[in-house]
Amino acid sequence: MDVSLLIAQFMSGLSRGMMLFLIASGLSLIFGVMNILNFAHATLWLVGAYCCYTFWYVLQESALGLWVSIGLAAIALAVIGWIIEVILIRRVYDRDLPEQLLLTYAMVLIVGDLIKLTWGVEDRIIVRPNLVSGPIFLFDIPLDSYFIVVILVGISVAIGLWLFLQKTRYGHIVRAAVFSREMVSALGIPIPRIYTGVFVLGIFIAGLAGAVQAPVGSITLGMDMAIIIQAFCVVVIGGFGSLLGTLVGSIIVGEVYAFSILFWPQGALVLIFIVTAVILIVRPWGLFGTPMRV
Amino acid sequence: MEDESILSVKDLCKAFGGVQANSYVNYEMISGELSAIIGPNGAGKSTFFNLLTGYHLVDSGKVYFKGRDITNWAPHRITRLGISRAFQVSNIYPRLTTYENVRQAILAQQRRTLNLFVPANQLARQDTFELLEVAGLSQHADMLAGNLSQGDKKRLELAIALGSRPELLFLDEPTAGMSGEETHDTMELVARLNQEMGLTILFTEHDMSVVFGYARRLTVLHLGSVIAEGTPEDVRTNDEVQRVYLGEEA
Amino acid sequence: MKRMWWLALVFIVVLILPLITGEFWVHVLVEILILGLFAASFNMIFGYMGQLSFGHAAYYGVGAYATGLLMVKGSVPLPICLLASMIVAGLCALILGYFCVRLTGIYFAILTLAFGQLIYYIIFQWYSFTGGDDGLQGIIPPDVLLSANAYYYFTLIIVVAALIAIWRISESPFGYTMRAIRENTERTRFIGINIRRYMLINFVIAGIFAGLAGALWGPFNRSIAPDLCTWHQSGIPVFMTVIGGPFNFFGPMVGSVIYTFLMAFVTGFTEYWPLTIGLIITCVVLFMPGGVLGLCEKKIRVFRSRAPQLDPIETTEGKSSGYGG
Repeated sequence: MDVSLLIAQFMSGLSRGMMLFLIASGLSLIFGVMNILNFAHATLWLVGAYCCYTFWYVLQESALGLWVSIGLAAIALAVIGWIIEVILIRRVYDRDLPEQLLLTYAMVLIVGDLIKLTWGVEDRIIVRPNLVSGPIFLFDIPLDSYFIVVILVGISVAIGLWLFLQKTRYGHIVRAAVFSREMVSALGIPIPRIYTGVFVLGIFIAGLAGAVQAPVGSITLGMDMAIIIQAFCVVVIGGFGSLLGTLVGSIIVGEVYAFSILFWPQGALVLIFIVTAVILIVRPWGLFGTPMRV
Repeated sequence: MEDESILSVKDLCKAFGGVQANSYVNYEMISGELSAIIGPNGAGKSTFFNLLTGYHLVDSGKVYFKGRDITNWAPHRITRLGISRAFQVSNIYPRLTTYENVRQAILAQQRRTLNLFVPANQLARQDTFELLEVAGLSQHADMLAGNLSQGDKKRLELAIALGSRPELLFLDEPTAGMSGEETHDTMELVARLNQEMGLTILFTEHDMSVVFGYARRLTVLHLGSVIAEGTPEDVRTNDEVQRVYLGEEA
Repeated sequence: MKRMWWLALVFIVVLILPLITGEFWVHVLVEILILGLFAASFNMIFGYMGQLSFGHAAYYGVGAYATGLLMVKGSVPLPICLLASMIVAGLCALILGYFCVRLTGIYFAILTLAFGQLIYYIIFQWYSFTGGDDGLQGIIPPDVLLSANAYYYFTLIIVVAALIAIWRISESPFGYTMRAIRENTERTRFIGINIRRYMLINFVIAGIFAGLAGALWGPFNRSIAPDLCTWHQSGIPVFMTVIGGPFNFFGPMVGSVIYTFLMAFVTGFTEYWPLTIGLIITCVVLFMPGGVLGLCEKKIRVFRSRAPQLDPIETTEGKSSGYGG
């Protein structure tokens, strides 16, 4: 086995892992704080990708077109997230788990069809700017230069989230809400505002991730289905509500996928599910989570 | 038979985080006793019950039931052996009827819950009605348990615990939330169960008149440790109890 | 007794319906029956045990493939195939359920989902055995069942028999133990019930009936594909049960009637069926918790004293944490 191939595969796995991290971090944050598992998370991620395509289509003449589009798409998704939270999610805060799950699952179907209505069924492709279109060489090993973009965005978001949660007042409140919403509301902080904020933040990151994903390959209907299950796996492996856990879980899933493609291509996803199942059985709260809400 | 040891607890310890909820608790019960455990809030009474019934895992120490080591057994095995409990917060099936609540415990005791083929409403009718009668719940048999009054819920809780036909019964504050009359009725029932059916009963209680009125032996827990034990009279006059417990009440 | 009259009436309608409708609607009726059984088996876990399985299609799919493979590759007679499907699906449910019942709530939902996808990918990737993406074609029922009406009556007999079995189980001490576990797991443990064992048995029984439903699908559709195991297929019984009402025995069947008719109707003039059902589910969750039958019960109060009821009782536990301040 060639070392350069292994390194190339490692980088591909890392970039895949970072993409999963971008999706799973919002998913995990929303579940940790609101106790709602958002089935529609990856579908909104896909909306981010399509939005990015549309903005890019309009702006493609300009030099910074793609980068501006990614930012605009993320903002657009934050707005969409806000609307969804206020109209739908807020009504089921105190409902049972199955009802909350069903509502977000219904959103998968609704948003999926809205995508089809808006952007049609044909695949969309973004032509990358020159800067990131060719390979770059790391120790003479050719790598897709766009992988670097994905990894950098992933790392930035990880650091940004960490700083937000550890260093800001709002972040402290959010972390407290993960442990006890009674405590937070006892402090006189309105819970709906925190929930809305967290949901919007989560969807913003998902939108950003989708936009960053858009130029990786073609944008296809149904991409969200494969990715959401993997994002669940990531969150389960890392532990709900743990940022570090989500990061580690993402990298594990990304690398397991990348390397099993090399050795046992049919088994890539099977392997991920087996890892997830094992973790769920021996440590339901995940590698870095705390055993509280079972 | 009378002085046969039914429950024996040796050096029981349990900590939650840094807090020692039970610390080297030793406790003995003779068959046929009606005894109480008292102590201020957070003294470790509920933890004690939870350790004895397998709800929490023991850190160290041993629990023996009729000479048999049952330390850290699963709750359902302990129940099947003949130890039953009523919870402090009434722990019932709110969307089943009172009748179905009690029947469920009886069916489980009769090992009939794996029966897939006979309609449940044909089974254990007699036993269920008898137990409802004993608990004074007959007139509410068809009511959804969630709609019962607070006092009736506690009584139902007791009836479910009795449905397991225990030899040893733990009651965690059996009269919490009851009116004076209900309290009296319930404790008379408890005393009757002890005297007429020979049930060994250990209960906790906040109401001191109940404790001194019914328990024949008292154990005082404070910060997870036993600080006094004896007849109600002994305990009442114990200096340390006066200081940590009754002093606090005053 | 009133309920008996209703059932008799429904039964007569069900018997004569295929004689007065066209073949298209007979196909829809068969679909209603098969998916209704699938949903009823799902509701053994959801309504009676109180856990949400998001991978129930795995057992449906395994049942479909067992019958499909035996018929296509072994030319085994249909009744034996149905039996084999139940056994294979039950074994699958035993193995996977052993792990699932260790968890509850959200973790149960995710683990069942993960296992469901696992089964899907295995069937999808195992090209040499299952035909992979191409699925299995040419699953032809025996000659006597070739006509739409014949297959309808055949399905009707099996589904009704299975529903009666599920009904009996739900009214048995075991069924009440499931309700007890749903209502108060802790209490049930303290009356001497080994929770995990009972949940596993229930999980296996639900898997067996899902397998039977799946087995009926192949000969009806003449072919099967791995899609039968995806989480979208797992979503169908969830939808049906929620629409019909999870706390009523007939809820899943009623949900199946509504869902399948609606789908046959809507897909007739638009391809946006997911959008439609998504909106319906959203409305049901927001405005009609308890489903159609839950609503009927509340309004009419017919089936008052029997089956478990959804009347909103103030449960002392649960999510009562105050928000809004």
